[in-house]
Order: sequence, then structure tokens, then C-alpha cells
Amino acid sequence: MKKGLLSLALVLTTGLLFAQKKTTTSAIINFDATTAIDALPKAENKTVISSLDTKTGKMAFEASIKNFSFTNPRIQEHFNNKGWMDSDQFPTATFVGAIGNIGAVKFSKDGTYPVNVMGNLSIHGITKSIEAKGSIVVKGGAITANSEFSVKLEDYGIDGGAVGAGKVSKEPTISVIAVY
Amino acid sequence: MMTRKMKPGLKKWLLAIFILSLGGASFVWYMFTLKHDDTAQLKVDFTVESLVFINDFKTDLTAANEKYSEKIVVVNGTVSEVEMADTTANIKMVDTTNGDYIIFAFQQQYLNDAKKLKPGEKVSIKGSCSNGDFSAILETYYVTFKRCTINK
Repeated sequence: MKKGLLSLALVLTTGLLFAQKKTTTSAIINFDATTAIDALPKAENKTVISSLDTKTGKMAFEASIKNFSFTNPRIQEHFNNKGWMDSDQFPTATFVGAIGNIGAVKFSKDGTYPVNVMGNLSIHGITKSIEAKGSIVVKGGAITANSEFSVKLEDYGIDGGAVGAGKVSKEPTISVIAVY
Repeated sequence: MMTRKMKPGLKKWLLAIFILSLGGASFVWYMFTLKHDDTAQLKVDFTVESLVFINDFKTDLTAANEKYSEKIVVVNGTVSEVEMADTTANIKMVDTTNGDYIIFAFQQQYLNDAKKLKPGEKVSIKGSCSNGDFSAILETYYVTFKRCTINK
């Protein structure tokens, strides 16, 4: 009986230690749509939910649009309005995809591993497939995923007046950091 | 030497254009340099208990978002986790019965206060409630806050 309980405890502990699906609720996404004539449209969201399956490479992100924080309150208001992100109707941006070369990442060995990520990015109710380069940094058991890529706002039906006027970049840069 | 005298009507027009230009430039300058107020100084819209607050979102997500979104809310509860991320730290209050949670991202000037908090500590946090939603990744409800500070 005792041996059975001990074995069960060992299996459960081992399972927890080597769980394949890592998650965080504090991934960070920076959004930079600044242009030569306007340095204000950039924001940060520090409470993004993310998961990474270290065996299959499956990766997912969920970002609450209203939690993007701008330094300027007026820009934040415009960002959430209709014509821009319309965050009341489309409250979340999501990414569901996978690391293509997950086999090249050695999660048991410290190092920086370049990765290719592919998947579907949904913003403003529109889903498009994207590819991005990034890296996985393994250090002392912690896993950090980084990536930087740009998106075309017109692909996601975002065409506010500020975009046409050159105050907002047509292809903002999005950078992601997730510590699992 | 001959000096031309400006017509009184023209003088008035030039003065009006100058005042309008000055006003316009001041307005543009004001808009460009506008910043969020320090949350600590803002009027509180709601004061809530963490578990009751989470349950409000779980019971009726739409109604709770309409009520609390972009409002200044003080949440009283217990710190479940101090989640470090890159150079920042977020505070979480979790309903341990189902994993639903509230997460608070702090204003830069109050980040060190957040880092000092410990799990199990009773705390009162004031911030701008962004919204609540259901996470397909975690299969839990969550509520996000931005520009938070410890409520003193």
C-alpha cells in the first residue's frame, strides 16, 4: 500500500516537473506604430496569456486589447474606438500556431535557439496566417520566447483616418516576450 | 521718410489670426504632451472584494464589462502570485477553487511596491480595470488591470 502511494506520488511529481505545456499570464507585447511625424502611437500590454508545448512546439497567445497601455490617454481612446481596434466588439487578439523547428531547441540545455513560428493571428475579428522569426532562450530552467514582426493594418480591416494621414504606421512592429 | 499706416480692419484680422494660431498650437502641444494621471490621485469609482469581483464577471461577462471597464477600481484581496516578467512584475489574485484570476500591471513609478509583495499578503490595489474575458488557453475567467498602485 505504502509502495503504491509512493509510486503514485513519484509519477505525479515527475509529471509536474516535466510538464510539456508551459503557461504564463504575464507575457509582454509591445506595439509600435510610430511614424516620422508622430511618436505617440506605441503601447505595451504586460498581461498577455501564453502557452508553449515544449514537445510539439504548439504556441498560443491571448491579448486583451483594452490592456494595451499608451502614455497618451487620447491615443489610447482612439486605439480602442471604432475604425481602429473597436475593442468593445473585438476585445481580444489571439495567435495560435507552432514553432516549426522545435526539434532544434534543447530545453534541457542552456542556450539561445533561433526558431521559426507559423500560425494564425486574429486581430479585429480577422484571421490571417503569419510567419515570424524569433528565439527561445533557455537559462537555468526558465524558458523565454522572443519575436518581432510587423503586420499590415489593412489586412485586418484597420483603416482609421490617422493611418491615411501618416500619423500611424501602416505596418506597425509587434514585439513579444514570454517567460514560461 | 514715408510710413504707411495699417488699416484698422486689417490690424484686427491679423491679431485674430495670431490669437487663433497661438490657441491652435497650444492645443496641439497639449494633446501631444498629455499623459495619464497618477492613479493614486484619481477618484475611485468602485471598491470591491476580489472573489466577489471575479464572480461578477463569471456571472455576466457583458454586464460586468459595461460596469467596470475603464473605471478606477480598488480591489481588496490576497496576493496569490507575484509574476515576474522581463523587467516587470504583475500581481495576481486567484480564486483557488477554479483558477479564475485578476491580474494587475503596475504604473512604472509603483513597480517596486509590487515587487515587494508576497503571496498570502492581504492587499488593496487601485487601478484602471481594462476588461474581463474567458481564456481559451487556460480555460479560466480573468480580469486585467493597468496602471495600478497599492491603495494606501
